[in-house]
Amino acid sequence: MKIERREIIAAGGLAAFAAGFSQTLGRMVANFTGPEEKKIAEGRHIHGRSAEPEFTVDPVTGEFTPNPNQQVSYTACLGCTTQCGVRVRIDKASGQVIRVVGNPYSPLSTEPHLPMKASVKESLVAMSRFQDKGLAGRSTACGRGNAAMDQMNSPFRVLTPLKRVGARNSGQWQPISFEQLVKEVVEGGDLFGEGHVDGLAALRDLEQPIDAAAPELGKRVNQVAVLTSVNDGREAFSRRFWNQAYGTLNHVGHGSYCGGAYRSGSGALFGDLKKMPHAKPDLANAEFVLFIGTAPGNAGNPFKRTGGMLAKGRAEGRLDYVVVDPVLNNSHNLAAAEHGRWVPIRPGTDGALVMGMMRWMFDNARVNTAYLAWPNLKAAQAAGEPSFTNAGWLVIAEEGHARQGRFLRGSDIGMEIAAEDKYKDADPYVIATAGGELVAAETATVPAVLEATRVIELGGKPVTVKTSFELLRESARALSIADYSAACGIPEEVIVGLAEEFTRHGRKASAIAHGGMMAGNGFYNAYSVVTLNALIGNLNCKGGFVMNGGGFKDNGAGPRYDLEAFPGALKPSGTPLGRNVAYERSAEFKRRQAEGKAYPASDAWFPNAPGLGTEWFPGALRGYPYGLKALVLWSCNPLYGITGVRPLIEKDLADPKKLPLIISVDPLINESNAFADYIVPDSLMYESWGWTAPWNGVPTKATTARWPVVEPKAARTPAGAPIGMETFYIALARAMKLPGFGADAIADMDGGRYPLDTPEDWYLRGGANIAFAGKAPVADASDEDLQLSGVERLRPQLEGVLKPDEWRKVAFLFTRGGRYQPATEAQDAEQPDWQAHRFTKPLWLWNEMVGSARNTLTGARFGGCAQWTPPAFYDGTPMRQIHTEADWPLQIISYKSALQNSYSIATRITGLHPDNPVVVHPADAEKLGLKSGDTARIRTPGGAAECTVIVHEGVTAGVMAIEHGYGHRELGARAHRIGDQAQPDRPDLRAGINLNELGLADPTRGGKVIWVDAVSGTAVRQGLPARLERV
Amino acid sequence: MKKAFQIPDPAARAVSAPPAPASPSRRNFLRGVPVLTAAAAIAPTPAIASTGRQQWAMLIDVRKCIGCQACTVSCIQENAVPEGSFRTVVSTYSVKLTDSAQPAGTYVLPRLCNHCDNPPCIPVCPVSATYKREDGIVAVDGDRCVGCAYCVQACPYDARFINHETNKADKCTFCAHRVDAGLLPACVETCVGGARIFGDINDPEGELARRLKEAQPQLKVLKPELETAPRVFYIGLDERFTGKVEGQGTLWKPRSLPHA
Repeated sequence: MKIERREIIAAGGLAAFAAGFSQTLGRMVANFTGPEEKKIAEGRHIHGRSAEPEFTVDPVTGEFTPNPNQQVSYTACLGCTTQCGVRVRIDKASGQVIRVVGNPYSPLSTEPHLPMKASVKESLVAMSRFQDKGLAGRSTACGRGNAAMDQMNSPFRVLTPLKRVGARNSGQWQPISFEQLVKEVVEGGDLFGEGHVDGLAALRDLEQPIDAAAPELGKRVNQVAVLTSVNDGREAFSRRFWNQAYGTLNHVGHGSYCGGAYRSGSGALFGDLKKMPHAKPDLANAEFVLFIGTAPGNAGNPFKRTGGMLAKGRAEGRLDYVVVDPVLNNSHNLAAAEHGRWVPIRPGTDGALVMGMMRWMFDNARVNTAYLAWPNLKAAQAAGEPSFTNAGWLVIAEEGHARQGRFLRGSDIGMEIAAEDKYKDADPYVIATAGGELVAAETATVPAVLEATRVIELGGKPVTVKTSFELLRESARALSIADYSAACGIPEEVIVGLAEEFTRHGRKASAIAHGGMMAGNGFYNAYSVVTLNALIGNLNCKGGFVMNGGGFKDNGAGPRYDLEAFPGALKPSGTPLGRNVAYERSAEFKRRQAEGKAYPASDAWFPNAPGLGTEWFPGALRGYPYGLKALVLWSCNPLYGITGVRPLIEKDLADPKKLPLIISVDPLINESNAFADYIVPDSLMYESWGWTAPWNGVPTKATTARWPVVEPKAARTPAGAPIGMETFYIALARAMKLPGFGADAIADMDGGRYPLDTPEDWYLRGGANIAFAGKAPVADASDEDLQLSGVERLRPQLEGVLKPDEWRKVAFLFTRGGRYQPATEAQDAEQPDWQAHRFTKPLWLWNEMVGSARNTLTGARFGGCAQWTPPAFYDGTPMRQIHTEADWPLQIISYKSALQNSYSIATRITGLHPDNPVVVHPADAEKLGLKSGDTARIRTPGGAAECTVIVHEGVTAGVMAIEHGYGHRELGARAHRIGDQAQPDRPDLRAGINLNELGLADPTRGGKVIWVDAVSGTAVRQGLPARLERV
Repeated sequence: MKKAFQIPDPAARAVSAPPAPASPSRRNFLRGVPVLTAAAAIAPTPAIASTGRQQWAMLIDVRKCIGCQACTVSCIQENAVPEGSFRTVVSTYSVKLTDSAQPAGTYVLPRLCNHCDNPPCIPVCPVSATYKREDGIVAVDGDRCVGCAYCVQACPYDARFINHETNKADKCTFCAHRVDAGLLPACVETCVGGARIFGDINDPEGELARRLKEAQPQLKVLKPELETAPRVFYIGLDERFTGKVEGQGTLWKPRSLPHA
């Protein structure tokens, strides 16, 4: 009887109002019935099972009446990496979370956010109908954020320590006690009846080198490695343990298989390839924004803030934007079509589009050369510019010169520089002045000449030097606009139109990228996109390209407690497992050089990349540069997330001889820790501690406080604390007698010493550092604040751990869910068109670190500026040369889901959006006679998968788009057996496909490692060659 | 399977920005896409014959909707809506565009009970369970409802369903339990794009009445020809979506569950 109802929504896709039934998880709140309802419902029961309101506000007087049955607390969401400040509504009797909305103090949930001086009561009244405050100050949680709480009651949670039974990945576990867990992983032994396994104590070898012939690799302790995901506000604690106390160098996150190519490209422009600074469009004030390979309002970080400002800007008519992407998504909205446009593009060709735009800008005098000419910040600021570039700096461009690609330095042209400072910071960069002189860039008061190619004498030989500006212009002019158009599939007039539009808004335009850059040329595509910004001089400008405000630091050296240093702290050293250092400094290089052939190296090295999780598994399992003895997986899922890695490593990973010990700390069993020997339960969502700062996109300073607003569900330690990452590491430290933990581990600023025995010892003192940061500390929380926010529950810990003058200030942070600079301080008080938080170093049109680095398989030099280069394997062989279009006529891309969190799938989202049918263009579907709903098989050189197709024009012809977050093998998709209990069987959680299982190996690296970008080392998931077959 | 829905657009121009700088026509580049037309002739007049009492209504600015389904999920959590059913949802369309430089576009349509002033669901109820409150909210009395589903069939907006956990007719109540407590409906307070505005249509000082007045020429309702007098008004509602949409254009589909 409901079937016909579904037809209606067939139009919309989402079955609006289609009937259905099924008991939902986690709904334990009592029905809303009782005398109160009778009064408001005129005697009728009209509210069904709706929840009781959390409080009442008189719409006339604004009088506030709390609901004594519920707690409303401000904390942080972990439904995605944005980690928004939220308000969580809890049923006190059951401890269940009822619903989650936004925290009005948090700029990640509210625009503009409420000043911190507002009391908790005022903040709650501000969410009500009283004076329509709740509309003006609306503070939201997204669909995913609303759903993520379901995970708290998931039947798939790990709640006790688990030890594997049988082989790795067998899906069988034995619950063990915390004491047994700690004893076994520290002491080792014949833990599985498979022979002796070294424990963490034995593996902490700080003396013996991994390889005496290659001392640069470091000590054997580096053979214990920790892989994690994003910093959820607890990474400092983990690093204190693993880096500073245990002593391993290897502790990396997920960047290299997330959006790392974009970050690396940005890092090249911002001159720091390790920390990779980045900026964001100032959507609150921009007139035009070009989004390339990123989908504002569909997904991304900060998701809601971006989506909300985009919606406001286009509805008001202030903001125009274009989204360039192979797939159409929710960043477009036909109701505001005159303000936003989707431009389809071929995967991995963003660089061609952008270099075409640049070429037009150079050829039509639409590059801001007046801005670019300022060679240092002081001169730029004197001219009214809040940022500067190295456009005028001279680069050694002589082919074959030993320093080709490096900047010309003062010492090269006869400036007095001490020998030990040569080519270091004290040796200045050089510009040419209008008078023809060569002077130091850092101290010049005049603009540089941008067209300054000349031959100078270096070491008695003539050497050509060019400016960064000229090298970039040469790169842009390498091809015609027609050629660029042919490469990316975007018509010439659209390339020109974009360039024209981009350059006609002064500083109120910007260009930005993200996950769409994860192609086989992602670094250069990303470097090209972000370089567009430098050419119009928009950095640090209101309405332009703006920096994150950053956070208040919890784990610094004060102002109240030193959480950075401690007696006996180690400084790990050696070669990182991901080889993100110069091959030319390795023993291997010296050996090969002595043998007369420095290149090729055994494999790829990535001197201009950050830590690379992508390279860990194939590297460690093959022993290059060294093997691992123990791997710790903390809240991460590389086997699901790293494109192409699973088929290459799953056999070896299951073999304890190849990797003797795998320990996971995680609240769930995922595709990766299914291979673990032990799983230690961790806190989940609203149970956990953490101090987080926005990743980017918030121009004011902001720190979000996450605290256990509900009691953690995990089993307890013998001391009665919930088992989690912190309590596990504290117990390991105690068992191994490591420094930095236990009695007297933490010092205050007066030399007083305090213990680190509990999570509270760390997070509350971190809170004190935040509360007292800056010119003046925050205010004290009132008793009313404590009551209304549920922080009263923390009072014993606050008073127990902190000093009398501290605890109410730290409580203030928890009552407001963080510390937030006022929204009105985004711009500079003196210079209203400048941002308050500015990037003060140069933007590098030419990056000498990249431009002087060599490909370790070929010895060829990398280009040092934005450029168009087709997707290629590591040695530079174009992908299409090996996997031709004749064999693999299509390409697949991944796109972020607007709804599904790939790591928390057992939520109501799964019912709303259960599957990820692959989007196929009608022209491609027609060739195979496929229509929406049909089953087909995708095949790539790396694998094959059956999928459902959905056919429409919202994808570039020749491309198949796969939404990320489906195709799971775990997280509920497989029912594990824990002790004598079997988990529920939920076949629906296996729905869909995972693009990462179709990834490619790199044939130029022996087919043994995954395909990564040659500069950034990031996994390639955009533009995988593929074909589609009928089944 | 039906063919994707097409928007014909006589006025659309396949235009890109002219190469010459300082073009006088500011928005040429973005006009690759047909602009939705406002038809003032059929714009509803949201003024209610004033009884001096509160009359609740909602305005949805579709231009601000980002299709994130925050409303959908928050409603589910707030009201314990069973899996597979929705009191509100954002229908999402991938629309093929013809005569446009852009081959397709996204159209989103937030939907919920329209709390009609002339509600077709009320007269069909054999037990007088469904009724209109004095403040305009169309409600279902759970004590009276026998779950016969006549109202489900009668609603032209498909806003009702039988809740298989309660065996009663179920639908959006504008979160009357929250509204009566001085709060906002769950979907409104969590609307990320700020698309949903809720308030008293009779309060001229209020945000809702002010916005409705400002947007009067652009206002539309769903299925105006049925003369149901909806209390849910839209800005940016494409006429081609005001009635039933013939076609598919899906971005996703919900899990279809077996029926008992």
